Amino acid sequence: MATRSLPILLLALLGLLVANLMFGAVSIPFKSIFEGFQVGNANYFTVHEYRFPRAILAMLVGAMMALAGALVQGVIRNPLASPDVLGVSHGAGLAAVFYMTFFPDADIRWLPAVALIGSLIAALTLWWLCGSHSSTIKLAITGVALAALYASCIDFLMLVKPLEINNALLWLTGSLWGRGWNQLSMLLPWLLLIPFALWLAKPLNLIHLGDDSAISLGIKANKLRLASLAIAVGLTASCVAICGPIGFLGLVAPHLTRKLVGGRHQILLPSTMLVGAILLLLADLVARTIDPPIELPAGIMTAIIGAPYFLWLLLRTK
Amino acid sequence: MKRLLLIALSTLLLSLSLSVQAVSSTQDSIKNSVEDSKGTFSIDYVPKRIVVLELSFVDALAAVGVSPVGIADDKDPERILKEIRNEIGEWTSVGTRSQPSLETISALKPDLIIADISRHEGVYADLQKIAPTLILPSRRANYEENLHATAIIGKAIGKDKEMQARLKLHAQRMADFAKQLPEGKEVQFGVARDDALFLHTADSYAGGVIRALGLKNANTGRSDDAYRQTSLEQFLAVNPDYFIVGNYVTPSIVDKWKNEPLWSVLKAAKNHHIYSVNPNTWSRCRGIISAETMGQDLIKVFKANK
Amino acid sequence: MISIRLPFVGQCLALLLLLFICSWISLFSWSVITITPMDALHALYDMNAESIAQHIVHDLRLPRVLVGIMVGANLAAAGVIMQGLTQNPLASPSVLGINAGAALGMATVSSIAPWFGLLGTSVAAIIGGGIAWAFVMLLGSAWRGGNEHGRLVLAGVAISALCAALTKAVIIIAEDQAAGVLTWLAGSLADARWQTFDSFWPVCLIGLLGAMLIAPTLNLLQLGDDNARNLGVSLMWVKLGGSFLVLLLVGSAISSVGAIGFVGLLVPHMARMLAGQDHRKFLPIAMMLGACLVVLSDTVSRAIIYPAETPAGAILALIGAPFFIYLVRKRTL
Repeated sequence: MATRSLPILLLALLGLLVANLMFGAVSIPFKSIFEGFQVGNANYFTVHEYRFPRAILAMLVGAMMALAGALVQGVIRNPLASPDVLGVSHGAGLAAVFYMTFFPDADIRWLPAVALIGSLIAALTLWWLCGSHSSTIKLAITGVALAALYASCIDFLMLVKPLEINNALLWLTGSLWGRGWNQLSMLLPWLLLIPFALWLAKPLNLIHLGDDSAISLGIKANKLRLASLAIAVGLTASCVAICGPIGFLGLVAPHLTRKLVGGRHQILLPSTMLVGAILLLLADLVARTIDPPIELPAGIMTAIIGAPYFLWLLLRTK
Repeated sequence: MKRLLLIALSTLLLSLSLSVQAVSSTQDSIKNSVEDSKGTFSIDYVPKRIVVLELSFVDALAAVGVSPVGIADDKDPERILKEIRNEIGEWTSVGTRSQPSLETISALKPDLIIADISRHEGVYADLQKIAPTLILPSRRANYEENLHATAIIGKAIGKDKEMQARLKLHAQRMADFAKQLPEGKEVQFGVARDDALFLHTADSYAGGVIRALGLKNANTGRSDDAYRQTSLEQFLAVNPDYFIVGNYVTPSIVDKWKNEPLWSVLKAAKNHHIYSVNPNTWSRCRGIISAETMGQDLIKVFKANK
Repeated sequence: MISIRLPFVGQCLALLLLLFICSWISLFSWSVITITPMDALHALYDMNAESIAQHIVHDLRLPRVLVGIMVGANLAAAGVIMQGLTQNPLASPSVLGINAGAALGMATVSSIAPWFGLLGTSVAAIIGGGIAWAFVMLLGSAWRGGNEHGRLVLAGVAISALCAALTKAVIIIAEDQAAGVLTWLAGSLADARWQTFDSFWPVCLIGLLGAMLIAPTLNLLQLGDDNARNLGVSLMWVKLGGSFLVLLLVGSAISSVGAIGFVGLLVPHMARMLAGQDHRKFLPIAMMLGACLVVLSDTVSRAIIYPAETPAGAILALIGAPFFIYLVRKRTL
């Protein structure tokens, strides 16, 4: 099954990439796209400086968020778990809103760095509250409670300093607007986490047999958990820092992939990256073309795509 | 610490550049080099295809008869004053002011973009890749800053003389309006939505225009914010002599308040000094043309109750 | 914990006194126009029509305090019923998605179809909250007993997240409405007037009486579903009736002042500490505590960025969210 799904996924990804380059507020015919990569061409800005880096960024962010989701779901054996549930995204959001309200004149380019710090603090707080011995459900609920705390702080800040509401809201919904080569280069170092994640695939399979059998097979369950969660937090934090919290992606992509290729992590992890990339490319394409020239944040589209699926998942879960 | 130093340095630079600008603009020079919010902006041609990303810049262009090809008008042409619409003719919408569509801007092949430092700093680098970008304060700017930005725009589009003349005319007109208006009366402007009233304080654009017309701002308490959401109780404390309201929707919250017994306690209500105006003129446009319209509005207001 | 030793009636009287003091303070404190404590009392029984201060107390502050009391009592009672019905210590309107659902309904109507006016938004809020609660109850009966408390909460949170994303979308599309909707989302008493009071109190009274009537049955539910059934409780009717009461209580509160959160989570636990596990006793205590809490946070909300106001709901969320974390850590889920 996996061998059949992978080429189809790759093909879909390629098709969507081309569609992302062609469509938007202005449509560019297929043939002109390649000319658009040459300096001085009429479409140079739109294709090379705007749509191409944005599409690549969407693919990377989608892939990384999906991977983070798959790792978290692999460790916390709860089908509803995902990095957003752990409060990492909201921590980043709080840091960003704090920065935007109290330093309205400061350089907006520092925003990603600030968000990164916020999400790392959120992850550490969760770790500090739960330690390594907490039950999986308790970890998830603590994450949810922390997320609620961050959310209420965000609301409070936005209400006390009302001028910045729209800026903050745009960032908080998750958007690829105005992201380009700069953001892409900021994301690049974090790609190093991906090989580590893939390397964890085999032990993650074993942990699914249960802690006892995993230990008897020579795997330290807790260390594996720690490593997977740390990588997931790193992946999420870097994505949130650049695009804002794009919801439901880390949750839905792994589930969809599991249906397509099954639960073996060696295949699941790479495939889920493909699915995540496809989902975010699709979301961004729809968000840009639904009512041009107005752009909706891609995070809203992922929520609209992801939510019905998620509710179905909820009803099905035993 | 480093950051503090950075801020201090940049403020120093900014104030220096502003004072330099003030000197050079009086010299009436012809070289098209101006200081914007990001440093020196140079342009060696007269731009023909201009895209503006805030409404106040539209006003500035219209003041010297230049038509932009693209405007971030939130897809609602009504947000631009009728006088200005008639002046500039057709344009293409480039989306919302907060998130203009860079693709549409690029497709318009502009040779100058005018952006707002408060809203568009994050995409300044991208805008520059499309065309030379002049970035100026608009959203949080008060009346004086706005006049300054208007002068800079005039210079950048090669219409320095016209703009200086227009600004002089503007000062003249405002002085004329001021003469027709009673001096030192207390006037407060606010925009009313469905469920909230926002007072525009002394720091806001409207507050500055009111002062420039020789009138007085009401005391709104804390003044660290240009726009303040106000409940009826706080509004009773502000209690302005004249209240000018721009209703974004009807019926707005002010219409609801009018039916309450406490409303009649207000000085403005007692003396029937409450007037409604076009909120686009008074709140969104923020430019010399809208300032003059505001002056005319106020004259009507004060004539009406003589 | 002196109050634990007080008998039930004593506790009630003490809380009533506390509530009166809170309300009285709220009537005169943090006003831009000077209001003396005596003004506040005079306005209640012997009004001087000339005094602006007394007018403010009578026309603005008094309905505000009364609505605050009712909202607090409503939300606390709703929290108690929800926790009783689901047997889940974390159940409350904000955690299980009712607030977010109501907010979505309200934001949609006020941005996309503003001509519906206030009535339309209230109805939309109740419908939105009702749909969210229906989902949660369906899921709740699917996951019964044992270790599944956490799942129910996660489901509620997920529904909240979905509604919140959609609400944000609506707000961004209708950019102009952002500030107003955000205030409403947090919940503010600033616009509570006599009209609000007049349309609120009948529903409030019915809801609170209903809550008192259902209290003995909630006691039986504590024994577990099977035991309750053996004692002659019709589970389906209790759940339907309870859900209806919750919607009535939360819906009327939300449509009056906005989506105030965390009262329903916080207060039942405080009440349980004071009055033990008997619903007949801790339900009235919870109502009074809820009222005190809302009135107090409304007073604080005027002080924080004086003379401007923050919504009272934002303050409550700041107190409530850490308590949520505390509950999660304390309870074995």
